[in-house]
Amino acid sequence: MLKVENLVTEYGSVRALDGISFTAQAGKITTVIGANGAGKSTLLRTISGLERAKSGDITWADGTLIGKSTEAIVRSGIAHVPEGHAVISQLTVAENIAMGALFRRRKHKNDVKLAIEEAYELFPRLAERNKQLAGSLSGGERQMLAISRALVSRPKLLLLDEPSLGLAPLIVEQIIQTIDDLCRKSGLTVLLVEQNANTALAVADYGVLLSLGKVVANLPAAELKADASLRAAYLGY
Amino acid sequence: MDQFLSALFAGTSRGAIYALVALGLVLVWRGAGVINFAQMGQAMFSTYVASTLIMNGYSYWVAFFVALVVGIILGAAVDLIVMRPLSGKRSSAMLSSPAMRGTIPVIASLGILGILQAVAGMIWAAEERGFPTPVNTLGLSINGNVMPFTPFDLFVIGIVLITLAITTIFFQRTGMGLAMRASALSPEVAKLSGIRTSSVRTLSWAISGAASSLAGLLVTPSANLSPNTLDLILIIGFTATVIGGLDSLPGGVLGGFILGLVISFVNVYDSPSDVFLAILALLLLVLLVRPQGILGSKEVRRV
Repeated sequence: MLKVENLVTEYGSVRALDGISFTAQAGKITTVIGANGAGKSTLLRTISGLERAKSGDITWADGTLIGKSTEAIVRSGIAHVPEGHAVISQLTVAENIAMGALFRRRKHKNDVKLAIEEAYELFPRLAERNKQLAGSLSGGERQMLAISRALVSRPKLLLLDEPSLGLAPLIVEQIIQTIDDLCRKSGLTVLLVEQNANTALAVADYGVLLSLGKVVANLPAAELKADASLRAAYLGY
Repeated sequence: MDQFLSALFAGTSRGAIYALVALGLVLVWRGAGVINFAQMGQAMFSTYVASTLIMNGYSYWVAFFVALVVGIILGAAVDLIVMRPLSGKRSSAMLSSPAMRGTIPVIASLGILGILQAVAGMIWAAEERGFPTPVNTLGLSINGNVMPFTPFDLFVIGIVLITLAITTIFFQRTGMGLAMRASALSPEVAKLSGIRTSSVRTLSWAISGAASSLAGLLVTPSANLSPNTLDLILIIGFTATVIGGLDSLPGGVLGGFILGLVISFVNVYDSPSDVFLAILALLLLVLLVRPQGILGSKEVRRV
């Protein structure tokens, strides 16, 4: 279970997260939705230690994440796929995937091999292109690659930032479906940030609605989806 | 023909040393974003250690490996003691601007160079001393025919080629090599992959220290050792990285060999006094035609 309490993150004098509290249940998909600038990406970046929290607490399993380095947080089982298909374009597909498992390569040699095979099974298109440079892939393939890189670290918690950004609807569906399957089958906890609220709420168990750095609703996904007034006020449809 | 071959061999062996210097510079530039002007100061220091060992009766090879270890330690120490604290948070907005963040470590490296040269002068006095070679530096003779190259040329070329091969295998085939490439290309994605980027950065400094120590050991026999003999080698090595492409390891190595050959041929066929003019002309030509260097990437650096 991921527990966020009164979290505040600032960029200079701009308060991006203004006292956020919510929990993400283990083995469930929690989606964080909200308009541009609501603080969704900042939330994920603070959880994974890329941004420093000004105050508040984030606990995962039974320890706090505050003050830990990104590397340590990733090594404790939290994988973050940031916005914008974060892969390294000058490295090959195989190298990008291997990168995610580097820190486990000595102690879990066989499991790393297995995890990489599983990633290729999940996204066969990556297997076909494993010797190509990541820069030569399409947007959808890059997103698959970024997710694969995260999955080979065998995370317990997956932080996904806007996986649908700039992708064709069919590919979005395929990626979201894959995440859903992973969560149901292996008990992965997912925190999914999306601007595309409909897509996200369709697969999520819980929805957290952010606006200007504050939580305005924290409900089961179905209820949030059904609440026309919230949608009209904060999501504009 | 003999003149040509002799220029070719001398140039290749000199170029191999510049390639090592360039390798060291590119490693730290890619790994830490710093042009390390202290690099050949570190090499001078480790070469003095080797020289002192040899004068005290130790064999060339003991001194050789001790110097490499000293190079590694100095490289790591520069990062841990100076560069890492400098990259931490700064109180004033001016000091934390991107331009300053880029400039401060370079100025620090000049400071380190000054300290190393002063300390070396205090310990070993400022007099020049020679430095031995493990093999002969006279023309190799086979069946009475003097060849256009010396055993030392072959030794230098051989050692550098082995070093380059090991470096290539390390970067392309090992997990640590992948971690280093990833950290240099995108620190954020590397961190998100669980790679300890600050340790990787220290490792870049350490390997760079070893490469430049090796360059120091190989170049000193023909230059004599004093606290600032290696300054010129740094300048030529730096020019090599700019010609080859500052962010490309193969580019730096290529630039080193090109410069070595150009210097050698100008020396033999023209006159030693034109060497620097030739380097400058080559540098200007590359900067005009291909500003990012022969193998450098075109990415624009925003200041």
